[in-house]
Amino acid sequence: MAVTLTQGVLIAIFAIIAGIDFWLEGFYIFRPMIVCTVTGFLLGDLKLGIIAGGLTELAFAGLTPVGGTQPPNPIMAGIMTVVIAHTTGNSPATAIGLSLPFSILMQYIILFCYSIFSVFTKKADEYVAKGEFRKFGMIVLLPTVLVALLYSAFSFLSVYGAQNLMKTLVNSMPTWLSHGFTIAGGILPAVGFGLLLKSMLKVKYVPYLLLGFTAACFIKFGNLMPVAIIGASLAWIEYGREKKEQEVNKKFKNMEKSLENVGGEEDGI
Amino acid sequence: MESEKKARNKLSRRDITKLGLLSLFNQSGMNYQRMQADGWTFAMIPSLKKVYGDDKKGLIEAVKSNLQFINTNNYAAPLLMGLEASLEENGEERSTIDGLRVALFGPIAGIGDAITWYTILPIVAGVTASFAKQGSILGPLVFFIVYVAMFLARIPIAHLGYSAGTKAISKIHENSAIVAHAASVLGCTVIGGLIATYVQIDVVTKIQVTSSHTISIQKEFFDNIFPNILPLGYTFLLYWLLKKKNVNPVTLIILTFLLSILFSWMGVL
Repeated sequence: MAVTLTQGVLIAIFAIIAGIDFWLEGFYIFRPMIVCTVTGFLLGDLKLGIIAGGLTELAFAGLTPVGGTQPPNPIMAGIMTVVIAHTTGNSPATAIGLSLPFSILMQYIILFCYSIFSVFTKKADEYVAKGEFRKFGMIVLLPTVLVALLYSAFSFLSVYGAQNLMKTLVNSMPTWLSHGFTIAGGILPAVGFGLLLKSMLKVKYVPYLLLGFTAACFIKFGNLMPVAIIGASLAWIEYGREKKEQEVNKKFKNMEKSLENVGGEEDGI
Repeated sequence: MESEKKARNKLSRRDITKLGLLSLFNQSGMNYQRMQADGWTFAMIPSLKKVYGDDKKGLIEAVKSNLQFINTNNYAAPLLMGLEASLEENGEERSTIDGLRVALFGPIAGIGDAITWYTILPIVAGVTASFAKQGSILGPLVFFIVYVAMFLARIPIAHLGYSAGTKAISKIHENSAIVAHAASVLGCTVIGGLIATYVQIDVVTKIQVTSSHTISIQKEFFDNIFPNILPLGYTFLLYWLLKKKNVNPVTLIILTFLLSILFSWMGVL
């Protein structure tokens, strides 16, 4: 069964909502479980949607955006699995595989967005410096709006306009270009850390930076907890040392003062 | 030290509830340069506005210092936001607040990811998918209800962070300068760890020595000097350009982007 124009538009509108939700990780509408169900409902085949939702959700269960990585896009996987199963009559399980090019292309678009949206930060800084918080808010929300538009355009084209064209596009994108985006994504946090260090790093803190770096290099663990514990221990040691120093200084000053007082009295005599 | 502290406005319970709800926008301005910083700040602004009241200059400084690299779990974000709000309310030193935020976002992200992505999602997805595969609407319905509840949990999480901060504050007050120093130690240690884990540069070039023997530049050269030496070097190069040469961050982002694509095309990275 072919997808009608109305259905294409409705799916595109739903993609906007799910796209914003995925961007913000708000209500998990973006998970295949919900995406497939709603797409199935919009295509008039709710049962297919629910069954595809269960299968796709399990297929995507291990693919999670943890620590800034991006898995293949769950929204496009969800939409296209149901659309392909609905239009071609394939089983949902086969349709999952056929939907993969769409979800991978959307993944690259999102990666590209993460990189390109870095250019808004300068403008955001300027608005804050001038105290124009309303404009700052608008520039912060701009990426969300742009992403929503991308989702609606991409899903409409995939679902209604140009299924075949999309497939060719996915397959013809040169690997060096897509690989380049991936690499840029891995290096760009360095700019953020550079800026962070610009405001926080003093020469006396360089040793701690190196200690944290070395610890993270050699402690293989899922998160930075070990480094944070080392950092907390160092902070503790420093705290104790500085506090002791402060007390010694205080005593020393008191002694100095009392000596001065003694000297003063002698002069008076 | 006490005399330097300015009286600040108090936040009400409603303000913290609002902060918890606003934490939804944590990822609205997501980008690779400083990740969630812009969205994080967007969520913090209403609280900061109330805390600073007429002190526009103080407000701008506080907002500015929030616009630094941050990447944490979305359900852990309101915890840290509540904590930061309580510190701001009590007029803690800028470096204490910034140091704690930078030090904490990584470790709590680890805990948050472990709970939300690796525990709750697999359980919810597994159970609801078993319903959905049989075509039962119960699957997607339960899934949706669980994640609406998860969204609402942001409110108590923000309150938890706020009250934890208020309790810690009385201790911090006594020695604010020393605490600021210790927080910087902790912060810089963690940044060192962040550089090692987030910035990824892998040279894939191999040199053909003889027809049967090749040397991988990454494995046999850079990794033998020190692991992650390239990420550290590149971060310091950027830091130097930002601090000493006053180079615009956007220039560095575009430069990084172009270099990535160029090196990808050349097959170096």
